[in-house]
Amino acid sequence: MIPAPFEYARPTSVDEALGLLAGSDDAKVIAGGQSLLPVLRMRLNAPELVVDIGRIPALHGIRDVAGGGAVAGGGGAIEIGAMTPYHELLASDEIRTELGLLHDAVASVGDPQIRHRGTLGGSLAHADPAGDCGAVALALEAEMVIAGPAGERVVPAADFFQDLFTTAVGEDELLVAVRFPVHPGWGSRYEKFVRTAQQWPIVAVGACVHMADGKTISAARIGLTNMGPTPLRARAVEEALVGVEPTAQAVGAACAAVADGTSPPSDLNGDADYRRHLATVLARRAVLAAAGAA
Amino acid sequence: MELIHEFTVPADVATTFATFDDVESVAECFPGAQVTSVDGDSFTGSVKIKLGPIALTFNGVGEFRERRLAEDGSSGRMVLSAKGKDKRGNGTAGAEAVVVLTPGEGTTGGPATDVEVRTDLQIGGKVASMGRGLVQEVSNKMLGRFTDCLEGKLTGPAGATRG
Amino acid sequence: MTTTEEAPAAPADEIGRDRRRKEDRRLITGRTHWTDNIVLPGTLHLAMVRSPFAHANITGIDTRAAAQAPNVVAVLTGTDLAATQGVLANAWPITPDQVTPEHKPVAVDRVAFAGEIVAVVVARSAAAAADAADLVDVDYDELPAALDLRTAAAATPENGGAIAHPDLGTNNSAQWIFDSAQAGTGGNVEDAIAAARADGIVIEREYRQQRLIPAFMEPRSVVVDPTGEQITVWSATQIPHIARFLLAATTGVPESKIRYIAPDVGGGFGGKLQTTPEEWAAFAVARRFGKPVKYTETRSESLQSAHHGRDQWQKLTLAATNDGTVTGLKVELLADLGAYVALVGGGVPVLGAFMFNAIYKFPAYRFDCRTVLTNKAWTDAYRGAGRPEATFAIERLMDELAAELGRDPLEVRRQNWITHDEFPFTTVAGLTYDSGDYESATAQAVDAFGYEDLRAEQARRREAGDPVQLGIGVSTFTEMCGLAPSRVLGSLDYGAGGWEHAEIRMLPTGKVEVVTGASAHGQGHETAFSQIVADRLGVPFEDVEVLHGDTQVAPRGLDTYGSRSLTVGGEALALAADKVVAKAKPWAAHLLEADPRDIEFSRGTFAVSGTGEGKTIQEIALAAFAAHDYPEGIEPGIDAEVTFDPVNFSFPHGTHLCAVEVDTETGAVRLRKYVCVDDVGTVINPLIVAGQVHGGLVQGIAQALWEEAVYDESGTLLTGTLADYLVPSAADLISFDTAHRSTPATSNSLGAKGVGEAGTIASTPAVVNAVVDAIRPYGVHDVEMPCTPARVWRAIQDGSAS
Ligand SMILES: Cc1cc2nc3c(=O)[nH]c(=O)nc-3n(C[C@H](O)[C@H](O)[C@H](O)COP(=O)(O)OP(=O)(O)OC[C@H]3O[C@@H](n4cnc5c(N)ncnc54)[C@H](O)[C@@H]3O)c2cc1C
Repeated sequence: MIPAPFEYARPTSVDEALGLLAGSDDAKVIAGGQSLLPVLRMRLNAPELVVDIGRIPALHGIRDVAGGGAVAGGGGAIEIGAMTPYHELLASDEIRTELGLLHDAVASVGDPQIRHRGTLGGSLAHADPAGDCGAVALALEAEMVIAGPAGERVVPAADFFQDLFTTAVGEDELLVAVRFPVHPGWGSRYEKFVRTAQQWPIVAVGACVHMADGKTISAARIGLTNMGPTPLRARAVEEALVGVEPTAQAVGAACAAVADGTSPPSDLNGDADYRRHLATVLARRAVLAAAGAA
Repeated sequence: MELIHEFTVPADVATTFATFDDVESVAECFPGAQVTSVDGDSFTGSVKIKLGPIALTFNGVGEFRERRLAEDGSSGRMVLSAKGKDKRGNGTAGAEAVVVLTPGEGTTGGPATDVEVRTDLQIGGKVASMGRGLVQEVSNKMLGRFTDCLEGKLTGPAGATRG
Repeated sequence: MTTTEEAPAAPADEIGRDRRRKEDRRLITGRTHWTDNIVLPGTLHLAMVRSPFAHANITGIDTRAAAQAPNVVAVLTGTDLAATQGVLANAWPITPDQVTPEHKPVAVDRVAFAGEIVAVVVARSAAAAADAADLVDVDYDELPAALDLRTAAAATPENGGAIAHPDLGTNNSAQWIFDSAQAGTGGNVEDAIAAARADGIVIEREYRQQRLIPAFMEPRSVVVDPTGEQITVWSATQIPHIARFLLAATTGVPESKIRYIAPDVGGGFGGKLQTTPEEWAAFAVARRFGKPVKYTETRSESLQSAHHGRDQWQKLTLAATNDGTVTGLKVELLADLGAYVALVGGGVPVLGAFMFNAIYKFPAYRFDCRTVLTNKAWTDAYRGAGRPEATFAIERLMDELAAELGRDPLEVRRQNWITHDEFPFTTVAGLTYDSGDYESATAQAVDAFGYEDLRAEQARRREAGDPVQLGIGVSTFTEMCGLAPSRVLGSLDYGAGGWEHAEIRMLPTGKVEVVTGASAHGQGHETAFSQIVADRLGVPFEDVEVLHGDTQVAPRGLDTYGSRSLTVGGEALALAADKVVAKAKPWAAHLLEADPRDIEFSRGTFAVSGTGEGKTIQEIALAAFAAHDYPEGIEPGIDAEVTFDPVNFSFPHGTHLCAVEVDTETGAVRLRKYVCVDDVGTVINPLIVAGQVHGGLVQGIAQALWEEAVYDESGTLLTGTLADYLVPSAADLISFDTAHRSTPATSNSLGAKGVGEAGTIASTPAVVNAVVDAIRPYGVHDVEMPCTPARVWRAIQDGSAS
């Protein structure tokens, strides 16, 4: 499978990249290429220019940022450069201990080759409704740092995902980094349901749970993958979980409505009704596990 | 695949019908569509689909197969068929849309029309094998935007009730 | 890699030895010739323009823009190639009146499935060809498409149903019937069913064999070089000999002017047992321009237009007495051929016809099959070809019978199977099973599985209402393979024989060249065949070189499929080795100045009995090369050739036991344990046998749980990428517990039975039986394949006891 011809540029700075994007009305950014290359090879897109952002040092790496700024909560935040590949996240002790939900979701993506090339920024910018990172970003209340001709802006995850494959990142902009607030003392679990190991999730649920008194749930965050055109957050369930003891029955009851208001797809892996049902089961399991009860 | 979109507009059936009757105005609503020529009931044009990593341009022809407004203005029906192919030969699309207009219940007591757009869409070629049923999602999305726009056109900023 | 070297074995200890495959180093590292690696100067590259529609008239093809694109040499349509492209033949018309649509490699005025070639772009690079293919503008007039198998079977021009090829006036290609009452091999099945309806048990079921895609690792590729006196074709094929014959027969090019080479080929599973439009088109283009051409398909093209497998609808009626003795089986089959009758496409269900009665002593049997044309990709052999479908049906039915009786499925099988002391046994389908021991294989499997313990756990989980239920599935399969006695094939109207050819060349340096007509594509022939020859000739394993897959090197052969290479090709080789020894004996006697009758051959040495004197076979090879001194009346050489035609099929069998856990909340199925004890006769190389069984199991389990080719309502393949057509990986499977027992086959001197397809044939029903067993308490008695979580969950919801 050979893509249609295109021009190729490999800028070394964000400004240079933005300049290239501004200079073409048919350019495509390539990060790890794990979603873009299949599309180019199947010729479902034939951009004039492909801008490879793989050699921009500023887009790379994992760093601590102060707890202040736009990031809520006192635990500080971890900023991850958009071009940081999955495998680096998996190799990071800090990510594993401080952002367990992200670690677990990323560990479930594709296979080793895909995790070696694919990037966190690429995954979020791609905004595939079945992508694993979106629900995590929502549940952890991440913030997206976007650079454009007018400078940098910060968009909360809740406003980032706009539609199927559509985000707040404009055609002349770049996602440069993602900031994840750290939630000390929270437990988490990413429950992903697949038929074969190397599959996008049929449905996945990411849950973070805090139990201030060690006995009942004091706060919960639930993100849903592939339950609609964008990743979703199940706020009503989060509220229903507050004060609940982590038993299968109580958590199950609180999660029963997790699919309300969602519009999951129907495909060969299952119809929308099945996905709605799966979401309730996976939500219960994720919350119980996050609460240390499973 | 069959896709159904329903909405209600605050105008009577005849007025709504007249809006639908105008090819260019209707086409304008389809994301990325451009009508290049109109000849009686037929028209030619292109649709540029750009969604995330995908960008395809379909060129094609369409025609109104049926345009009928009941004499008493109590109902309207039109059947529109269109057929096109991607300019790189990577996909084909055929659609038949049946639009049914019936008097509806307005929220303000004024005239209202229930609009049902039932589209039978056939996508073929490489696009359809894109994977994970995405073509369904993309098509639904495009048609959703199309009907939202129509709804907006007919409703104006006043807002409509979802059927 | 030096640590992996094995010490040279003492000659003659080769059979039964775990040998790492000698071909693997080059296959795994890729330092070899795959077809796409072959680069000839001045090669032209092809890209295919394919129909996006399942059924349409071609009303116009505008090639102008494409023809003018950079580096394009030509754009050719079916009309341009009409005189030279030949046709794709069906080698097995199953009835004299079979309806067979003409199949042109490049469609001329009508396409019959989405993916059919309508134009060929010829360019100086593969990229230029791909770019220009986008510019070919084809106009189609869509026609109604026959897609669903059962609907297509019922469609007629009169009832307005869609006809896949309107000019033929019907979708029904052929009807093939076997009836034990008519054949004199058993009773009348209708009588048996009527009797059971009056007093007994009748089990009626319909099973769907979903459409599968062979999904070999190496996509198909072809290079044709017309330079010189012969036209050389390299192709990623299983069947260089058959392809050469048919290419000559359908294009008019003399067979002697064609050299066909299957270099290293990356898997086939039956999917490369085909003569393809792509090979034929490449051949025509190369001849037209007098230059080498190359075409390599993309994975999407492979999924869409290489032949598919299975796709049958089975209607089954099993009659039994109240105590569980089966009295008759009736099989009514619809088989989906796709758009054309492929090379042996129509014959696939016929290969299953003899296997529905499996290991059982059914007194009455009827098989009635209709093959049906549809507007989908053509179907043909896929690992097991006909036999997995039959095995699935009967093994599912035996479990259903057991459930109906409330008895253990193994017990019901025991009651009905052929016992060890009854061999040889002539079945109700007319075959004679030469050897087998179902009792021992089953006993060993039950033991290794921990059958009783798992049954106890199952009871506990049921009792406790555990959301995760345990199911146990049984499959006591047999199959017929080692294709095949040529006379039997003739009686079934197959176009060729089933013999195989081998040649052994004793080189003067003492090395041995072995030529086989089998055409390996990943099975390990080079290793197993080297072991056979090393064993029989007493030469070191390392000194044997196995040559295959090139019609100039191995001029006679019938290639590799149907688990035939060892039992037919290997036997030819063993007999050729015996011939070498026989030819060498007078030489030895002469050189040792002894009477030939006093010469004994053992472990590579000809010795005069009772003396210490001897000559090695290598010494004799050198002597025969020099030919300075040899007895009168014999030829100067000890090379030998043998063509072997088997007198019977081989009948491997085995007992497969599978335990699955079904998560009743999600419908997810998890394999818990898989044990199989296979009887494949004499084992030449246990490691290779284990590999074949493991791979076979995975493909069979994949049919049960994951794989399905799905078309949408307009005939577009929805599973057109490997993100949707779910081929499992090691991460999805568990460690299998495989073992073997051996009752030697009597149809070859090695005692070997085929093993290539056994795992695939056996495993599918074992898994589905386990899934159904797990959720039977919910009122479920079937789950359609593949048993996806959504289907399993839905079955539980819809079950009568939920
Ligand atoms: C076989 C397979 C299995 C997979 N399985 C999974 C899975 O289980 N779960 C999962 O979540 N994903 C899965 N993926 C997708 C994978 O995670 C991709 O890597 C990811 O979606 C995209 O990241 P990338 O770096 O490769 O981006 P690219 O493919 O390079 O880009 C993707 C899109 O994002 C845009 N983009 C990329 N970076 C930026 C940026 N910094 N700013 C603006 N736009 C940008 C590109 O223009 C493009 O449109 C799978 C992919 C494959 C091939």
